[in-house]
Amino acid sequence: MPYQADVTDLAYRYDGSFPGFLCCLFESFAARELPAAVLAPDQGQLSLFGSRNIPTDPAKAARVARGLERLGGTVQDRIATGFLSDDPDKDLILLRFARLCFERGPGAARMLGDPDVAAAFALARAVGNEAHLFIEFIRFEERDGMLGAVIHPKNRVLPLLVRHFCSRLPDESFLIFDATHGMALVRRPSGVAYLRMERYLPGTDEAEQDWQRLWKRFYDALTIQERRNPVCQRTHQPKRFWQDMCEMRPVPVPAEETPGKMGC
Amino acid sequence: MDLAEKLEILADSAKYDVACTSSGVDRAGRRGSLGSCSAAGICHAFTPDGRCVSLLKVLYSNACCYDCSYCVNRRSNEVRRATFTPRELAELTIGFYRRNYIEGLFLSSAVLGSPDNTTERMIEALRILRQEYRFNGYIHAKTIPGTDPRLVEQLGLLADRLSVNIELPSEASLQLLAPDKEKAAILRPMGQIAAQSAQSRRELSVYRHAPAFAPAGQSTQMIIGATPETDFHIMRLTEGLYQKYSLKRVFYSAYLPIVQDRRLPALTTRPPLLREHRLYQADWLLRFYHFSAGELLSEAEPNFDPYLDPKCSWALRNPAFFPVEVNTAPRVALLRVPGIGPKSAGRILSARRQQHLGMAELKRIGVVLKRAQYFITCNGAAPAHGTRREIAGALLDPKAFGVGVQQLSLDDFAAKPLPEAAPLVHELAGQGMEARQAAELVRQEALSCLTKQM
Ligand code: SF4
Repeated sequence: MPYQADVTDLAYRYDGSFPGFLCCLFESFAARELPAAVLAPDQGQLSLFGSRNIPTDPAKAARVARGLERLGGTVQDRIATGFLSDDPDKDLILLRFARLCFERGPGAARMLGDPDVAAAFALARAVGNEAHLFIEFIRFEERDGMLGAVIHPKNRVLPLLVRHFCSRLPDESFLIFDATHGMALVRRPSGVAYLRMERYLPGTDEAEQDWQRLWKRFYDALTIQERRNPVCQRTHQPKRFWQDMCEMRPVPVPAEETPGKMGC
Repeated sequence: MDLAEKLEILADSAKYDVACTSSGVDRAGRRGSLGSCSAAGICHAFTPDGRCVSLLKVLYSNACCYDCSYCVNRRSNEVRRATFTPRELAELTIGFYRRNYIEGLFLSSAVLGSPDNTTERMIEALRILRQEYRFNGYIHAKTIPGTDPRLVEQLGLLADRLSVNIELPSEASLQLLAPDKEKAAILRPMGQIAAQSAQSRRELSVYRHAPAFAPAGQSTQMIIGATPETDFHIMRLTEGLYQKYSLKRVFYSAYLPIVQDRRLPALTTRPPLLREHRLYQADWLLRFYHFSAGELLSEAEPNFDPYLDPKCSWALRNPAFFPVEVNTAPRVALLRVPGIGPKSAGRILSARRQQHLGMAELKRIGVVLKRAQYFITCNGAAPAHGTRREIAGALLDPKAFGVGVQQLSLDDFAAKPLPEAAPLVHELAGQGMEARQAAELVRQEALSCLTKQM
């Protein structure tokens, strides 16, 4: 550890929000210590460590955010992206990474040979990679003039999809439902919003079903039997994505209400 | 005939075309239009043969008036024929694009009457897309040899990428197998496209709103394994194409026998997929690793080793180049180390500005050391010492010995050589040897052979 801080056996507990996380960072500076764990509310109430509650204070969070801004885009991005991870250790990894960057300057982000930097890099990369896969594999269906899609991501990737789809579909209204986390990204002419959402009802529109059948027919026609290589297919397009891709369903599912799933 | 059936026929006839990338141009979305482009390209699906689906790849028509012997659409073949209308094609593209099925359109065609006639219809489809639907996504159009240069120009103003298929690696093969095509007719549009894109880039740098001509450049493809050219011949041709016509990509397509013809390999011939893979590896070495064709192969050794990737072969022939010191070596030297690619090299360069790199650091950076460890030093010390046999074992390409359950039918659980396994593995398995045993036997053989050479 190149900077001055006591490694404690204390766990920080916070509300799980990003400003809350920044306050943990603030606390760690103020108390000149590194916690042994940083826990969001949904994480194990039982802990081996003693714990301290870190209240979320917007003023403190804003101060830390300004500090991060001064460290430049790479550091900021890595922390913001890493924070979307579902890895239970993400908070501690990012806190240690941020402290190192404050100590060493923005160049620290490139010290991939350092365990904390490597861990934060891996975290952000995993989230970024997953988001990219959804940019590839999301399937929209059209209903009532709006496009809708369901995804089952491991990480909270919605914020990383906004820019791509807003740029690509500048005049469309769309909704992407993250069934894992019960969140939806909604884009309307009025702007972008994130909403809590329980379930998505699949469309039953006949014209839409026709589009999906047309696409499946195209997809099936493309395969060269002599070159079949399902192993290779699964490496590029892991099976967990298939449930939300219409061409991967063997038979068209009758439209019915399934929580977190849709007809596409 | 309904649209779904047309789509099926025209996708099926286009599927042997290998180029399906949407790369080479970055274009953000704009209000009032639909779509954007990403220079790295985006895949939207993978077929069971493991290939990426990025574009709606179809022929405009498969009713060909030419008679190339290696092609399913040739005049003398009996297949279902179909032709789109320009509007059908445009609507299909938009419908798929909005649903995030595709990045755009890859339009090619058989020769419908004449090259000019075909190209005019393709232009009309693209015009509807670009002007009526204000489609801002990716379009790749294939030019047909013998098309009027003015039409090629119009096509280039609507498309992001143009391609001209070189088809076969030599003029002699072309004469033998595609009597309606000649080398000059193929190279002429290539020269035109190269010149016009260069001019358009110059104009764009002066007038921001000058129309862009094929901003993602041009590519080509050739069939390998149908004719007797060596890998060395193909790599030199490729190198020349990159230099002379500033091509963005050259694609190779392993010949898959679809017709019985005494001028062609027998119908039972397996597509040379491992060879195709080696050519792609070598192609990357030309484009991103600063290798030249002459370094990889020679008249004396004109073909790639089936069991080693071309970079490992080079490393073994040039022991004096190694070891490479990771803390000081320039980028080009790092790139010559087996197992280090442009990504790892970039990370090494940026990390070593901050700290000295040893084995532990390299691992954390994410450098795969299985092969690299025998070719580098960290602060002067060699991180690994292996016997010749160990090193040879690390270098052999596992792909050449791939065996797996392919499950071509529901109750088919027997292991088989994977499509890209070495020909010898396929051969032994074909003679009835158990697949894993065949692969192991060939691997042991290759290993002893390589150990002796080192
Ligand atoms: S011109 Fe093209 S489509 Fe027609 S037969 Fe030759 S290769 Fe096939």
